[in-house]
Amino acid sequence: MSMHRDNTVPTVLVAEDHNYDKMILKEVFSRAGITADLHFVGDGEQMLDYLYRRGNFAEELSAPTPALILLDLNMPRLDGRKVIHILRADETLRHLPVIALSTSESQKHITEAYSIGINAYLVKPANIPDYVAKITSLWQFWMVTASLPVVETSLS
Amino acid sequence: MNDRPVPDTVDLTNCDREPIHIPGAIQPHGVLIAFAEDSFQTVSVSSNLPQFAPFRPDDVLGGSLADVFDAGSTARLRELLGEPGVSVGSPIAMRFARGVDAEFMGLIHRNEGLTFIELEIPEKDLADSHAFFGRTSGAIKRLQAAKTLDDACAAAAREVRRITGFDRVKVYRFAADFSGQVIAEDRIEAVESFLGLHFPPSDIPVQARKLYALNPLRIIPDINYLPAPILPNLNPRTGRPIDLSLAVLRSVSPIHLEYMRNIGMRGTMSISIMRGDRLWGLIACHNREPRHVGPDARQASELVAQVLAWQIGVMEEETVTRQTLKGKAIQRSLISDIEQLHDHRAGLVRNSEALLELMGASGLCLHSQEGIMTLGTTPSEAEIESLVNLVGGTDDAELFQTDRLSAILPEAAAYTYVASGVLAVPLSRSPPRRVMLWFRPEVAQTVYWAGNPDKPVIAGQGELRLSPRKSFASWTEETRGRAIPWQSHEIAAAVEIRDLVIDVILRNTEKLERVNTQLARSNEELEAFAHVASHDIKEPLRHIEAFAGMLGESIRPIGDERLRNLVSGIESSSRRLRNLINDLAEFSQVGQQAKPFAPASLQEIAQEVVADLHQRIDEAAATVEIDALPIVSCDRNQMRQVLQNLVSNAIKYRHPARPCRIRIFASAWHEEEYRGDGTRASATRICVSDNGIGFDPKYAEQIFEPFQRLHGPDEYEGSGIGLAICRKIVQRHGGSVGVETVPGIGSTFWFTLAKPAENNSLAADRRST
Repeated sequence: MSMHRDNTVPTVLVAEDHNYDKMILKEVFSRAGITADLHFVGDGEQMLDYLYRRGNFAEELSAPTPALILLDLNMPRLDGRKVIHILRADETLRHLPVIALSTSESQKHITEAYSIGINAYLVKPANIPDYVAKITSLWQFWMVTASLPVVETSLS
Repeated sequence: MNDRPVPDTVDLTNCDREPIHIPGAIQPHGVLIAFAEDSFQTVSVSSNLPQFAPFRPDDVLGGSLADVFDAGSTARLRELLGEPGVSVGSPIAMRFARGVDAEFMGLIHRNEGLTFIELEIPEKDLADSHAFFGRTSGAIKRLQAAKTLDDACAAAAREVRRITGFDRVKVYRFAADFSGQVIAEDRIEAVESFLGLHFPPSDIPVQARKLYALNPLRIIPDINYLPAPILPNLNPRTGRPIDLSLAVLRSVSPIHLEYMRNIGMRGTMSISIMRGDRLWGLIACHNREPRHVGPDARQASELVAQVLAWQIGVMEEETVTRQTLKGKAIQRSLISDIEQLHDHRAGLVRNSEALLELMGASGLCLHSQEGIMTLGTTPSEAEIESLVNLVGGTDDAELFQTDRLSAILPEAAAYTYVASGVLAVPLSRSPPRRVMLWFRPEVAQTVYWAGNPDKPVIAGQGELRLSPRKSFASWTEETRGRAIPWQSHEIAAAVEIRDLVIDVILRNTEKLERVNTQLARSNEELEAFAHVASHDIKEPLRHIEAFAGMLGESIRPIGDERLRNLVSGIESSSRRLRNLINDLAEFSQVGQQAKPFAPASLQEIAQEVVADLHQRIDEAAATVEIDALPIVSCDRNQMRQVLQNLVSNAIKYRHPARPCRIRIFASAWHEEEYRGDGTRASATRICVSDNGIGFDPKYAEQIFEPFQRLHGPDEYEGSGIGLAICRKIVQRHGGSVGVETVPGIGSTFWFTLAKPAENNSLAADRRST
């Protein structure tokens, strides 16, 4: 299946604190037949470390620039909302597409997420076929339908 | 005649202004010498001195007492004066320096910087102190044997007459207004009885009462005496006339002498009965002929009066103590009942008989903004209201008492038989006012006056000075509208009961506030908990569902039916758990998502609900009929939720054998609800009835509890939260929910709501037509 615009495998940075959610997401990507380089971070701090290539991610190869960021809004320590504020304030990072993954269907949470600069908001489905369908269409839109910015970060 | 009018101002109170303490003269049966104690020099002497000893007043004035009395007497006098605590009437035997051999009885007292010695001729048996003590101690023993107040007073009268030999000895008791009544008497047959008669306050004017309190004994051996002036009548220490308040020989007011003449008496003596500083009464002695009573007999009589006063004290205190003990017992019972019943009113009701008996009252009313509670016999609520206004308007914020309400509140004349006496004890000074009112009925009394008390005086012919009354012919008066006056110990008891009730009210208020706070907090905590829990429980649940889903897909190729069942068991259980969590979250949100009430058309809401449910209605081939529904003040979304739940239920529990028919209507039956603010609010009842399967009415209450279901999850879906949510919403609107049901026939679920203003419901009626 070739949904990508070039032959390089796109990097997806996933900020997700729960191991089971990581497992499920990997499974869903696999079932959706998506070839992507999934990089997981456990919280907001780690995500910033990744993007700024510091701490555990000081080595360039360990933190390739992501094509897409999937972000759980409710994370320990530095939570998703704060991370977004930091990203959107940074000229070198503010172009990165960020998709919120959340369990909350609350209208309040959804509106809030868009207003702080989230590119899309996805409610995590409970059942796997639904999840697969959602991720498939997400991938189709962002990696095929939409035109993405091409900006090399100064760090990469 | 109904009642005595206020007496004319023209009465013996003129005597109130008469300066009876400085008459400038004494009665002539003794001699008075005033002297300066430091120099022993004579300052003033009565003009009748030469009748007792060969001295002219001029010889004595300015000289030393040592020249007037013999050496032994002078030494005794100095010694007596040197003793601490020389009080009014300390006796001393005195002998003049020359001329007479006889020993005189002297009485010493001090007043305004002067020392006085009054000399009288002693009784013959002066030396016989044995006889004196025997006589006195016998009298006191007989007096002490008395069991009741009346007995004690009668014994005192008898003993004083025995000691003094007066024709009539009476015990006279002052009332609060200082009118008096003869409560005991001992007399010879020949004089008329005064027993039971009342005398107006003016008969013993205020400054006379003051002297009676200072100086316990007065004697006038002969009212026709010729006063002996004291020379000079000037106290060098004060520059004023000499104050004879404490002198036993003091010359009395001519008005008083005239009064005595008018009651036909020539010799009198009176002894004060003191209770502490208060003049309780008098032992009054009268004689048709002049009668002199010597110092010893007077002292013995005084002793009798003191013992009587002491006995009165003991008896009064016993009464008070008995009442106090009784009061304490009732208070204890009241406290324990209030605690047991959790309500001060209920506690008062349970102890009403004892309380009324303790207070000698026939009725009690607790008046507050919450309403009027009455015990026993009380005036009507309207009468109490106007009485409370009167009480609230008085300056004295502490207490209000009267034994004659109709004198202050004329309309109370209509209910004197219920409340002539009122004791009002406020429970709070500041609004909201609460007051306890105790009531006493009228006691129609017949008072026998010694002469018309309203005509106590007869104006002297062409004179400004008034003469004392001449008529003492018994004069009967019937008093109406008067209750027994409130006694001080009863007032104290009322205050204690008040304090107790206040205490309970305050404690209850505090407790209520505390419980309310706790309740509000635990409600908030519960809602927050339910919200968070539902959120957090969802997380692992989602994982379970996802893993079960993946597992299910993974094992499908194997084709093992048993494994598939196990996995689908996990999946359906997870689904049910999810529904439960969602319902719980919804239930917990009822309070949190509440919006303020606004008028809304129930009819529109019902139509919207039917539109929302049209798919399920169509599937069930149900018909939903909506009657005219009123406009109500409500939280529109919540009201919609209620109707949605009820209609959904009606569809869900339809009868399989017949077409489902649902009707939404406002019940013609109106509930008159009595609200706390006293207004009557009409409530409207909204019904959703169906011809479904119904259920056993014994579950009619239970089904409104959260997660209570009458059917297994396999028969009907749902967690059983819908009706609980309905009830919670309706309760928030101040209404109630219920159901009438017949198994196999159908159910009618209903809820009540308060109707807003009348014009709104009219508008609703117009719209429906």
